[in-house]
Amino acid sequence: MSAIEPATPTSPASAVAGGAAGAEAKPDWPLGGTRPEARPPGEPRRVGYLYILPAFLILAGLILYPLGHAVYLSLWHWDGLTTGTWAGLENYADVVSDPALRSSFAHALVLLAFYALLPVAIGLLIAGLVARAQVRGLAFFRTVIFLPQVIAMVVVAVMWRMIYEPENGALNELLRAVGLGSLTQSWLGDFDLALPSVGGIATWVYYGLAMVLLTAGVQKIPQSLYDAARVDGAGPVREFFAVTLPGLRGEIAVALTLTTIFALRNFDLVYITTKGGPGDATSVPAFEVYDRAFQTGQVGSAAAIGISLAVVIFLISVLINRVAERGAR
Amino acid sequence: MTSRTEQTLTYTILGLFSLLALAPIVGIVFTALQNPDNVNAFGSFDGIHLGNFKDAWEQGNFGSYLKSSAIVTVTVVVVAGTLSILSGYAFGLMRFRGSGVLFYVFLLGLMVPMEAMIVPLYYDLRDLSLTDTYWALILPQIATSVAFGTFWMRAFFRSVPRSLVEAARIDGATSWFTLWRVLLPLAKPAVLTMTVLLFMWTWNEFLLALVMVTDEGLRTAPLGLSFFQGRNTSNLTLLAAGSVIVATPVVVVYMFLQRHFIRGMLSGAVKG
Amino acid sequence: MAEVRFIDVDKRYGGVDAVRGVSLDIADGEFMVFVGPSGSGKTTALRMLAGLESISGGQITIGDRVVNDVAPRERDIAMVFQDYALYPQMTVFDNLAFGLRRRKVPKDEIARRVARAAEALDLGRYLRRKPGQLSGGQAQRVALGRALVRDPQVFLMDEPLSNLDAKLRTQTRGEIKRLQQEVGRTTVYVTHDQVEAMTMGDRIAVMNDGVLEQVGTPEELYERPANRFVAGFIGSPAMAFFDADVVAADGGARLRCGAVDVVLPGVGGLPAEVTVGVRPECARPWEEGDGRLVGPVSGVVEYVEALGRETFVGVDAGGARVVVHCEGRAALQPGDAIEFGIAPAGLRFFACDSGLALPTAVEAAR
Ligand SMILES: Nc1ncnc2c1ncn2[C@@H]1O[C@H](COP(=O)(O)OP(=O)(O)OP(=O)(O)O)[C@@H](O)[C@H]1O
Ligand SMILES: [Mg+2]
Repeated sequence: MSAIEPATPTSPASAVAGGAAGAEAKPDWPLGGTRPEARPPGEPRRVGYLYILPAFLILAGLILYPLGHAVYLSLWHWDGLTTGTWAGLENYADVVSDPALRSSFAHALVLLAFYALLPVAIGLLIAGLVARAQVRGLAFFRTVIFLPQVIAMVVVAVMWRMIYEPENGALNELLRAVGLGSLTQSWLGDFDLALPSVGGIATWVYYGLAMVLLTAGVQKIPQSLYDAARVDGAGPVREFFAVTLPGLRGEIAVALTLTTIFALRNFDLVYITTKGGPGDATSVPAFEVYDRAFQTGQVGSAAAIGISLAVVIFLISVLINRVAERGAR
Repeated sequence: MTSRTEQTLTYTILGLFSLLALAPIVGIVFTALQNPDNVNAFGSFDGIHLGNFKDAWEQGNFGSYLKSSAIVTVTVVVVAGTLSILSGYAFGLMRFRGSGVLFYVFLLGLMVPMEAMIVPLYYDLRDLSLTDTYWALILPQIATSVAFGTFWMRAFFRSVPRSLVEAARIDGATSWFTLWRVLLPLAKPAVLTMTVLLFMWTWNEFLLALVMVTDEGLRTAPLGLSFFQGRNTSNLTLLAAGSVIVATPVVVVYMFLQRHFIRGMLSGAVKG
Repeated sequence: MAEVRFIDVDKRYGGVDAVRGVSLDIADGEFMVFVGPSGSGKTTALRMLAGLESISGGQITIGDRVVNDVAPRERDIAMVFQDYALYPQMTVFDNLAFGLRRRKVPKDEIARRVARAAEALDLGRYLRRKPGQLSGGQAQRVALGRALVRDPQVFLMDEPLSNLDAKLRTQTRGEIKRLQQEVGRTTVYVTHDQVEAMTMGDRIAVMNDGVLEQVGTPEELYERPANRFVAGFIGSPAMAFFDADVVAADGGARLRCGAVDVVLPGVGGLPAEVTVGVRPECARPWEEGDGRLVGPVSGVVEYVEALGRETFVGVDAGGARVVVHCEGRAALQPGDAIEFGIAPAGLRFFACDSGLALPTAVEAAR
């Protein structure tokens, strides 16, 4: 709107003491015309670029440039050694059509349930309970439940391999001990069970994250809303759906976004526990990226999978946050 | 207000999930302490045999792995943390042309997973003869950390009362002085939480190390553990001891700072 | 010497005109209060003077210097913020010393000046404390002290008392005024509270919707408001207004509106229709034989505001609403009938369309 305003006629400003306002000229801006968005004198502005510069250079060199390079690589068939041949969008077409790749993305979607939905559901259950009572020692429970988060995924994977171990692993031992010996399984070796077993590990890791985020959110909901609901005669369940759940919209979106990203990026868990097996029952896109680029010499395909993965992560994050915002209105 | 049964239910469920979280961890610690000469099973307790740690340390070369991890992690946390404070300050409190677009670039850095960049990164760094050096582990990790850190610190700086910055400006402080002497003391919880997160993520990063280094002397702790596992699948106690060694530094940092850390998570999570 | 001068100053935020064409001279050492309703542009005007906002048009001068492009630190000003903006991690002493250190004042001089300010504000005991350990009133005094030690040419304050309780506010009001008189520095003080403005200001600038409505001493604003807005804004309870027909009568003017039908002796020169402004103290219960009153006017009591020593009664006189002032307690209930008289000297007249004050013969005679 400032652009369509006529420029103020300017003349050298004279600070005539007590001069009539009409004779007083507006100051002469160096760029000509008025500067409605002129910076307040002394406010740091340009120096902002300097503050950002080092971080930006690193980002540009190690994220933006490789990203562009990845897009470029994804357009070629290349084994990493010899001269590549132009592939166009074939590598992307493979992502959709190649059954091995399709199933790896399908596995990632199944894992979403274990990484995102289940942890958030558990987090909500706990948040709903915490909302209704002053829980003493909540900080302690939080610290403990969050603990699996901080352990390296490699360690987690090694640990759970021991637990899932079919011969004398802890899970089968436990089942035998309580008389359910018939339920013992080769958890990571069975074609149908391997994927949910890997997923179970993820749920174990991430419900603490969801719980911490959601119980924090609950504590920000004004008590008056609960009082109002109670005065209106709401029971615990109604209260949860009428007050707690809507009040946690933002936190749920954050928890879902984070865990979704973790789910789609999952590499180390699969690499250590199953290496994608048995068969390709637990292969996931990130594992395919590694496998193709550094084991089987399909660099272009690996790059295409990586880019597709980034796009899927981006779309799902946007979607989750859109839904959360729409709900807010 | 709430009934007694409900209270009991709440504590029962909290206790159950706490137990579930703890049991495997306690299990692996117990396993690491078992007598290696007995028949070993995950999670059973048969006394304290600290010798496993010594054996694992020597056979597994964990001293070297931990050193690599420490070098990489400390460098990344210090550099990325500092750069994030600087850029978060500019994005949070300064108005300059293009700041919106530039911030989207940082957000992009936050969204793009390492998995999407690892392939070109490997070839780019190899062309620069940087693979098989610490730089290959440090530089990409700084980049992803800076993307997150900027996002995190910007949220903090936006929550600072503007009048504080203006008071400092009228008092004659430069933007540099205002950042380090007026604002940063207030930022302690935010910086601390960021530090723990960056420490954790860097220490635990696996794919980057797997792809970038082949030299055994450069292996980080998680990578080292994965190779150690390959060699010792059958030796339960040794593997458990190695796992505990790798996990301990982060757990210790977390335990020391968990109070502030969780508080920082709570206040920072949904702002940005 | 620091006169402050606004010359035709504008401030635009995008499409919003926050301040429009403000011209104002503030004398050296003067206590100038900016007052006006919320959103009227007071803070914006003050921040432009401080250098925290850019100036979209016009000029501001401090002393002989045009400061449009001068950084805040070069303007030799100090500001007290509404939320005090104390540096939370520094002790009170360091808060007070901060600005002096930034200006490379020698150490012993800093100590001396901080000690003097601390004494003037009775802060001696709190110098080692952090702002978080102070009460609201103490924090407010530290904020004042931080400005005071700087000994600037101009003090700027943006609603510095709004976070205090009523009693402390009255007390601190006097304290700020006393300090300002002692140091004799030009001060610009922003408030939305007209009582604060009336009690503190040497002169008051009334702002409304980005425009400066009137500048004058408290007495001038009260006695000779330039327009209906100022008349209604200054004074508590507020002036009551109604539109009345004016007919010339022998020796004065006859005013009619609803149940009001009075002859004002000596009043002349009014148009046929005016807005009449009645201050509460000019409307009193009717007493036969009180020569200062014209009337009686009869009306119905709408509400009663008993303050103890005096009572204000809202009266509806057939459509003309007036506030009547009674001494002591008045035994009245809403719905009661009441007769009151009006002191003609206290009436103000405004043009119905423009709201501008109209001179009358009475006024001319004074
Ligand atoms: N940064 C800004 N961007 C856009 N408009 C603004 C900005 N700051 C103030 N305004 C607008 O300018 C006008 C004047 O605001 P200002 O803060 O000066 O009012 P004020 O008189 O101090 O009010 P109050 O008594 O509520 O503090 C308002 O309409 C406000 O909405
Ligand atoms: Mg204001």
